[in-house]
Amino acid sequence: MINLRDKGAEFWERSNRPVRVLTVFAIMAVVAALPYAGNTFLQTPVAAFDAVLVYPMGMFILMALGLNVVVGKSGMLDLGYVAFFAVGAYTMAILGTRTGLNTWEIMPIGIAAAMFAGVLLAIPTLRLRGDYLAIVTLGFGEIVRVSALNTEAIGGALGIAGVPFPPGLGFEYQLLDQKYFYWTILVMILLVIWVIRRLTVRRPGRAWESIRQDEDAAELMGVSTYKYKIWAFVFGAAIGGGAGVFYASRSMVIAPDNFTLNTSILILACVVFGGMGNIWGVIVGATILGYLPDRFRFLSDARLLLFGLVLVVFMNLRPEGILPRKKREKAIVKKGSGASL
Amino acid sequence: MSKTILNLKDLTIKFGGVTALNSVNLELKEGEILALIGPNGAGKTTVFNLITGVYKPTSGNVFLGDLAIDGKKRHHITKLGIARTFQNIRLFGDMTTLENVITGTDVRNKVGLIGSMFGTPRSRREEKASIAKAYEILKFIGIDEYADRLAKNLPYGVQRRLEIARALGTEPKILLLDEPAAGFNPQEKVDLAAIIKKIRDAGYTILLIEHDMSLIMGISDRVVVLDFGQKIADDLPSVVQNDPQVIAAYLGVPADAS
Ligand SMILES: Nc1ncnc2c1ncn2[C@@H]1O[C@H](COP(=O)(O)OP(=O)(O)OP(=O)(O)O)[C@@H](O)[C@H]1O
Ligand SMILES: [Mg+2]
Repeated sequence: MINLRDKGAEFWERSNRPVRVLTVFAIMAVVAALPYAGNTFLQTPVAAFDAVLVYPMGMFILMALGLNVVVGKSGMLDLGYVAFFAVGAYTMAILGTRTGLNTWEIMPIGIAAAMFAGVLLAIPTLRLRGDYLAIVTLGFGEIVRVSALNTEAIGGALGIAGVPFPPGLGFEYQLLDQKYFYWTILVMILLVIWVIRRLTVRRPGRAWESIRQDEDAAELMGVSTYKYKIWAFVFGAAIGGGAGVFYASRSMVIAPDNFTLNTSILILACVVFGGMGNIWGVIVGATILGYLPDRFRFLSDARLLLFGLVLVVFMNLRPEGILPRKKREKAIVKKGSGASL
Repeated sequence: MSKTILNLKDLTIKFGGVTALNSVNLELKEGEILALIGPNGAGKTTVFNLITGVYKPTSGNVFLGDLAIDGKKRHHITKLGIARTFQNIRLFGDMTTLENVITGTDVRNKVGLIGSMFGTPRSRREEKASIAKAYEILKFIGIDEYADRLAKNLPYGVQRRLEIARALGTEPKILLLDEPAAGFNPQEKVDLAAIIKKIRDAGYTILLIEHDMSLIMGISDRVVVLDFGQKIADDLPSVVQNDPQVIAAYLGVPADAS
């Protein structure tokens, strides 16, 4: 099968700066114009296309990017990622309905709360590996959900309603026309990509990569594996939390049912399907897995079954995902810098 | 006589009922190449594992200078200046040759996640210096032409040498080499011996596990022999070579039978 990832990377390397800038702008223009494509073949039958762009698609991409740092880059199987999304969402819902703070003011608080939850989970569990880690994180995700379910002060099973929209920034966020929500989440995604790319090509990225490939060897080469594993978790949690804040503020109502194990698994599927460890692959994976179920809703009940089937078949044909992780023989760094020696 | 930089005192380790090392004393002098030899299962790799903190001794201590390092975290020991290679190659296969070495150099870097994220001047300075240093090491070891290749795709001999390069990346005082010539043909062994000598001449102290006698005789200043977890000889190569106890250990007959 053709390797799209390498084709893309080769194109990128062959191009000079103006071509690159143009490419980026062209892609951005197309992506940004998507809310206007609602009346085309892209239209989703039940939910409005612009709403689908925000959730699940945009949210999935954001969360998949965050989870990819933990699973794809660092090799830790986290089955409870939705917990951080929930912490962010509940922070937004509680503060948004009970204080005068608005979404943008709550955002850093929600992210901090999710990061704190990340530390809480990471410190006792990161000594575990593989399956054990997966099971404990799965438990953590469920604990968060069940706690919300059983805490009447935050609405119990009914959750919290009346979460305010974000205040407009020269425009108004609207329920029936969600393009502003979409553009906001686009900005969030770009920001996250930018940060992840920086981290990946620098020391933290190398530490994560080495941990994924051989944790003991990494430790013996001086990588503080424990510290970097915590960082991976906390960083992933921050993104999940940020997505959660925005999700609550857009959805107006949140309930424990929004944060089930299913979501964790779906996000994980996006990561694996798209290509573990490769942010572009993850984005493609989340886009497809976020979109298709809404597009083909007429399949109704068989939807998830069919969906699972496609995944199984696909993963057999292409186990490394759509855009696999780096395969090319090329360092992440510029060669020139060492030449003077 | 130069000073002792690594000192193993009465080192004993037991795995269940097996005593892998029994009260081993060993001094590593600054700037020497000390060979650690012995039959299979003698406990050589276990010595490395104790020095690098993979195992904690059942009793006894490991001193780096005056500092007892047994019980310290593994990455901390690396930072204190001890680096190793692995008998079974354990490179980061999905990284390039250069990235493997840069990962080693990171132990000397100070920048953390936040600094990397914001691209602080220090982060950029350190990244640049690490890349330059890694290239320098690859050239020094003679594998710079493979810089951009993924480690898992490298020829076997290059992988072995990359193990050494990655360890050098951590800027150790002491380099522990676990059978670096395993699987090499005679010519490759000669080349490797030259590299090891070159490393020593560059100011490193080397503890070398090796089975090939001619290689050992050619480059080591001193030889320590382990047999069944006991030190049975510790002397100049020429002396050890003719030690009846050592010969017996290798031939598998009791010393007094010879
Ligand atoms: N983690 C462990 N658990 C149990 N036994 C161990 C462990 N590590 C080492 N041993 C035992 O300690 C003894 C020494 O092993 P070691 O690997 O140090 O030998 P070696 O001298 O390096 O041999 P070789 O030349 O084959 O590499 C062996 O009997 C081995 O089975
Ligand atoms: Mg061994």
